[in-house]
Amino acid sequence: MSRLDCDQALAHLQDYLKRELTPELVTEVRVHLEHCRDCTGYARFEESFLSMLETRAGQTTCPKELRARILAALRAETTGS
Amino acid sequence: MTRDRKAATLSPMAEPSAPGRSFDEEALPHLDTLYRVALRLTADPTQAEDLVQDTMLKAYRSWRQYRPGTNARGWLLTILRNTFINDYRRRKHEPVAMDLEAVEPHALYRSIQDTDPEGSFFSQIVDAKVLEAIDALPADFREVLALSDIEGMPYGEIAEALKIPVGTVKSRLFRARRQLQAVLYDHAVEAGYIKPRETAP
Repeated sequence: MSRLDCDQALAHLQDYLKRELTPELVTEVRVHLEHCRDCTGYARFEESFLSMLETRAGQTTCPKELRARILAALRAETTGS
Repeated sequence: MTRDRKAATLSPMAEPSAPGRSFDEEALPHLDTLYRVALRLTADPTQAEDLVQDTMLKAYRSWRQYRPGTNARGWLLTILRNTFINDYRRRKHEPVAMDLEAVEPHALYRSIQDTDPEGSFFSQIVDAKVLEAIDALPADFREVLALSDIEGMPYGEIAEALKIPVGTVKSRLFRARRQLQAVLYDHAVEAGYIKPRETAP
């Protein structure tokens, strides 16, 4: 297995963090990160950015009123037809 | 930290001729996702509510076209997106992409790696500012960002819902993140959460 250099590892980083890589490539990226502090630092930064996005924007839920309104509209469809 | 992927793992055994699971069972669990995506697409809570309601009604009316066992979330998101494009007024000043092509992908990181390598300045930015920054991305960008980084959808599912190649999903996502990081960084500097980068010699 050939070692990835920094450019190659970083090119895969986005997919690595999103768990979209093949198992072989995951291993190669992981091996690189274990040996490269610079890339590990960058990977951590990207990771904290991604988890920040999820916490900030991913917790919102559909308002109860909207849910009720939709259910009522669906019911009206059923009985109206 | 990783959201578990609630990809609609429906029984592949569902008989195609049977009515299958009801609309309520298949569609209603995705209301939160639809609402969040609608919020990011419209950047307006009132419009987002209308968009979700329209989407659900359209989905209900065309429920017979849905094939049981396929991905209900993707199917609903396609309807949501088409409804948005066709029936909702685009913003007067639709944001445009920043020209980041020339910038090295990790240029931002380089400028903070000595002072704030973990990017902890992100956590100091208030929610409203983060959402505002997302909503200031071009529509194509905030759409993939919402589906991938907020909803945790796999590339393949996003590509299918948006009818674009996986490569396009990835490149849009990549540029969306960089633009968002740049905007948040500038905000953090302005607010004094982080020291401005020293201009390279």
